[in-house]
This record gives sequence, C-alpha cells and structure tokens, in this order.
Amino acid sequence: NSCPKMSENRLAIFPTRMALQGLKQKYAAASKGHDLLKKKADALTMRFRQILKKIKDKKEDMGKYMKAASFSLASAKYTAGDNLNHMVIETVDQPTFKLKMGTDNVVGVMLPVFEPLVESTQQKDLAGLSKGGQRINKTREVYMKALEALVELASLQTTFVTLDEVIKITNRRVNAIEHVVKPRLANTIKYILSELDEMEREEFFRLKKVQNKKKRDLEIMKANIQAEVAARAAKNGGVAPKSIAVEAPSNMLSQSDDQDLLF
Amino acid sequence: MSTPGSLLSFNINDGYIEGILRGFRLGLLSNVDYSNLTQCDALDDMKIHLATTGYGDFLENEPSPLHTTTIAEKCTLKMVEEFNYLRANVVNPLAQFLDYIRYGYMIDNVVLLITGTLHERDPEELKEKCHPLGLFDSMRTISAEATVDGLYNNVLIDTPLGPYIQSCLSKEDLNEMNIEIIRNTLFKAYLEDFYAFCMKLGGTTAEVMHDILMFEADRRAINITLNSFGTDLTRDDRAKLYPALGILHPEGIEKLKKCDDADQVKAAIDFYPKYRDLFNDTQFNEDKTLEDSFFEHEVDMHKHSFYRQGGYGAFYSYFKLKEQEIRNIVWIAECIMQDQKSKMNQYIPLFPN
Repeated sequence: NSCPKMSENRLAIFPTRMALQGLKQKYAAASKGHDLLKKKADALTMRFRQILKKIKDKKEDMGKYMKAASFSLASAKYTAGDNLNHMVIETVDQPTFKLKMGTDNVVGVMLPVFEPLVESTQQKDLAGLSKGGQRINKTREVYMKALEALVELASLQTTFVTLDEVIKITNRRVNAIEHVVKPRLANTIKYILSELDEMEREEFFRLKKVQNKKKRDLEIMKANIQAEVAARAAKNGGVAPKSIAVEAPSNMLSQSDDQDLLF
Repeated sequence: MSTPGSLLSFNINDGYIEGILRGFRLGLLSNVDYSNLTQCDALDDMKIHLATTGYGDFLENEPSPLHTTTIAEKCTLKMVEEFNYLRANVVNPLAQFLDYIRYGYMIDNVVLLITGTLHERDPEELKEKCHPLGLFDSMRTISAEATVDGLYNNVLIDTPLGPYIQSCLSKEDLNEMNIEIIRNTLFKAYLEDFYAFCMKLGGTTAEVMHDILMFEADRRAINITLNSFGTDLTRDDRAKLYPALGILHPEGIEKLKKCDDADQVKAAIDFYPKYRDLFNDTQFNEDKTLEDSFFEHEVDMHKHSFYRQGGYGAFYSYFKLKEQEIRNIVWIAECIMQDQKSKMNQYIPLFPN
C-alpha cells in the first residue's frame, strides 16, 4: 500500500521521555476536547431538531393566517369599495410595525432573534369611516396576526441556518480530532515508546557484553594463576605453595596512601 | 312649464332614455345566473357564464389566468359605457341629474389625488387608480400642483366639486384635516346639495329620491358614529360630518352625537323601527355585519324605484344596483380563487325570491 493513510502520519519529534510526557498530556487534552465537542454537537443537534419541528408547524399556521388575511381583505374591499388598497397605500407614511433584533445564547452559540415592536395607529387611521370601517379593522387585526407569525417564522429560520453552520463546523472538528489528531498523537507515542524500548535493549545488551568480557578476563586470569601454581609446584617437588601473591589491581578507592610523586 | 317628473311631459325629453334604462335593468344578473356563477370552480368558468349574460364577451381578450381585479375592472368599464351612453343622449335637467351621480365618485378621486400629490406619488399611477365614473378634465392639473396652497387656490376651485370645497373647507383644513374627514365633509355637502336639487325637480323624482337619499344620510351617520369609537375623532368633529337630512335628523342625530359606544348607538336608533330591525338582523348571524343589512335594505329600495314611472330616481337606482352586482361578482370570484366557497353566499342577491 503505497499511499500512506492520514492516521499513519506521526509528528516529527525527537524520541525523549520528556517528549513522551508532553505527548501524553496532549493526548489526554485531545480526548477531553473531543468529549466536550461531541456533547456540544449533540446539544446543538437536539435544538436543531426542535426548531425544525417548530418551523414545520409555524409554516402550516402561516398558510392558514395568510389565507384568512386575504379573505378578510376581500371582504373589506366588498364593503368599503375596490379602491381601498389605493386609499390606504396613498395615505400611509410612518411604519407602525417595527422589528427589534436580539441575540439568544444556546450552548455558546449566538443566535439572532427578531421581536416585533408595534406602535398603535388605531388613533390616527380613519379609513372606512363612512363605510366598511368594521371590516377594515378586522382585516387590520388579521394581518397583524399574520405579520407576527411571519416574524416568528423568520426568527426560527435564521436560527435554523445559523445552527446548521455551527453544527457542521463542530462536527468537522469532532471528526478531525477523532480521525486525525488522536491517531497521530497515538502513533507518535507508540513510536517514542518503541524507540525508548529499543534504546533500553541496546543498553542492556551493552551491559551484558561488558559483563561477559569481564567474566572472560577473570577466567583467563584464573587459568594463568593455576598454571603458575602448577609450575611452582613442579619446581618445589610437588608442594603447592599456600598462596601466591597476586597483585591485586590497584583500587583507587582504598584507604592506603599513595606514594608521593616527586618531580 | 310643467315640472319634470310630471307624467304629462316626461316622455317628451326623457321617455326614450328611460326605455333604454329599463332595457339595461333587464340585463342585470338573475338568480339563475348567480347560482351558475357560484357553482364555478375557476374564474375561467365564470367568464364563460358571464358571456351568456348581458356582459357578453367583455372578458374575451384577457390573457388566460384571469384575475379578480381584471374582472372587477372590466365590469366597471361596462357600467361606465352604459352611463356614458345615457349621458350622451340626454338634456337638462336629466343631464344634470346624471352628473350628480358622478359627483360621488369624483369626491373619491379628488381625495385620492390630493393625498397622492401631497405624498409625491407619480401622477400617472394616481390617474389609473381613479374610478372611471369620476373622471373630469382638471384632474391632470391637480397632480401638477405640489403644495396644498397651490391646490386650493388654483385647482380645486375649478373642478366640478369647487362649490362644495369652497363652502366647507378652508386652506388650513386641507392641510391639517385627516383625509377621511375631508372626504366625509365633502360628501355631506354633496348629499345636501343633491337632495335640494331633487326636491326642486319635484314630482316622482322628488318622492323616490327623498327616500333613497334620506336612507343614505342616516346610514352614513350611523356608520360614522360606530366607526369613530376608539379613534382620534372627537365628538365635535364627528358632529360636523352628519348630513343635515335623514329620518334621524335632527333628534336621532342629537342622540348619536352623544354616543360613545355601540350599545348607546343601538339605544339611540331604537325609536326608528326600520333601523332597529336592521340592527337586530345582525345579532343572529355572525358573518353578517350591519353594513350587510344596510346593503340589503338599499337594494330593496332601489328595486322599488323601478315601480314608479316618470321620475329620474330609476336612473340613480340602476347604477347603484349595477354597482352592487359588480361587488357580488367580485366577491364570488374572490371566494372561488381563495378556496372559501362556504362564504360565497354572503353576496346580496338583487332579486331574492
């Protein structure tokens, strides 16, 4: 398999124990981060589903409100005359229905929310004074209701879109941690451990080798002494000397005073 | 010279035209036509049915997805054609009488133009929104004026409504008054003037128009009172809008001036059996408002004017009935389009059985 998987990458790092500690910490942090992000994604997704349901309901309501509103308008036109539209449009000047934008905080996400601000114009508007006034007022109310439902729907839809974005981002991060960062860290840790193991093995081997050499040296020396003893015994008529003064190698650590060196 | 409206001399000048008018009246939609229309499922079906009536092929050249506003426009244009034909073939005083019919629409148009001009809307657009029966020559000059002063001094006085404007509105009023109050003040002056004119004509005209105009004045008084509750309209301003005629004038009007809510209004008109019955009508039926009762009563009165001969009342009644018919057609069309067939029967049949 010539193409390397993402998870087989590892960090280019010098395999020391300190590095290992650092990496282990990073791995723990990554795991914790992964858990937290997953919780956030779950909470957002739940909220998302709730909003979806609300939107569906609101849209159905909208349909009903708008239908009632158009019918109410037709009924008002019937009584007040066909030029009702023109009269109202020509006399309008100030907006009475305004929107206030606020923000709502959900799991750390700022969602925009629209609120209606209604200024009552009942006082100033005398449309249909001599005919149709009652129906016009009713139409006004029905359209107000439809407008308020519209505003709510707008809030819900902007929330929907924003949430969608945020959920995508969060999920991307969760997946990245799960499939890229953590495996990479894990591989690096594995690599360092394996390197450290190997270094230990090398050390052990080296030590073993030195010990063996020392052992062999000792054997050779023993063999030499045996040979000396045998030779002396042969010279003295077969009597083994009791001891041989073997010069012990000098021990730096012994207490004896060294001979002074005189230059 | 004998008064117009006198049976002896009526036919000399006005007989032919009255014949034409009665022909028009026969062209009004019958109950069968209405039941056909209510059974339509689409506006195009309505077009087919209307083609078999007096309307004929008037919707022939309209592009296929028909709209209720198109139907309304075309029906109104047909009515205007009939009016113009009559108007072209008459002499005074019937000519003057027919002009009086137009003044009502002119008032609406003038009010529209004034507000539109003050808010600086495009004059061409405004022109299109005017009612065709209320067109007059100096309309273009209204749109050309930019200020209220200019409007008052130069233009409004020259229109046929000049005398009404002069008599009841001053320059300051135009500026400050709510446009609806202006409209209603003008209409009050118009009603009183029209009434005086009819009474001067005498004979059958005076009798028929007397009842009709009195009812119109009373109806406006009651409506204005009811619709003014909860608004900025003060009692005094409201008192200035009541026409000085009608069965309610003057005692009922005095009572209405003092009313502050719907129950007081009901108490005020309790003495007048006709209106008391109209009020009570609405209590049993939720969808029917007082206005609907008024419309019904009005239609009834207009039908009766055709039973009289030798007067001009029938002319006025015909156009009011035609208007109601157009309203009915548009209502049925809207119900079909908006899928509200259950409410379709709220139209007012002109000839109930």
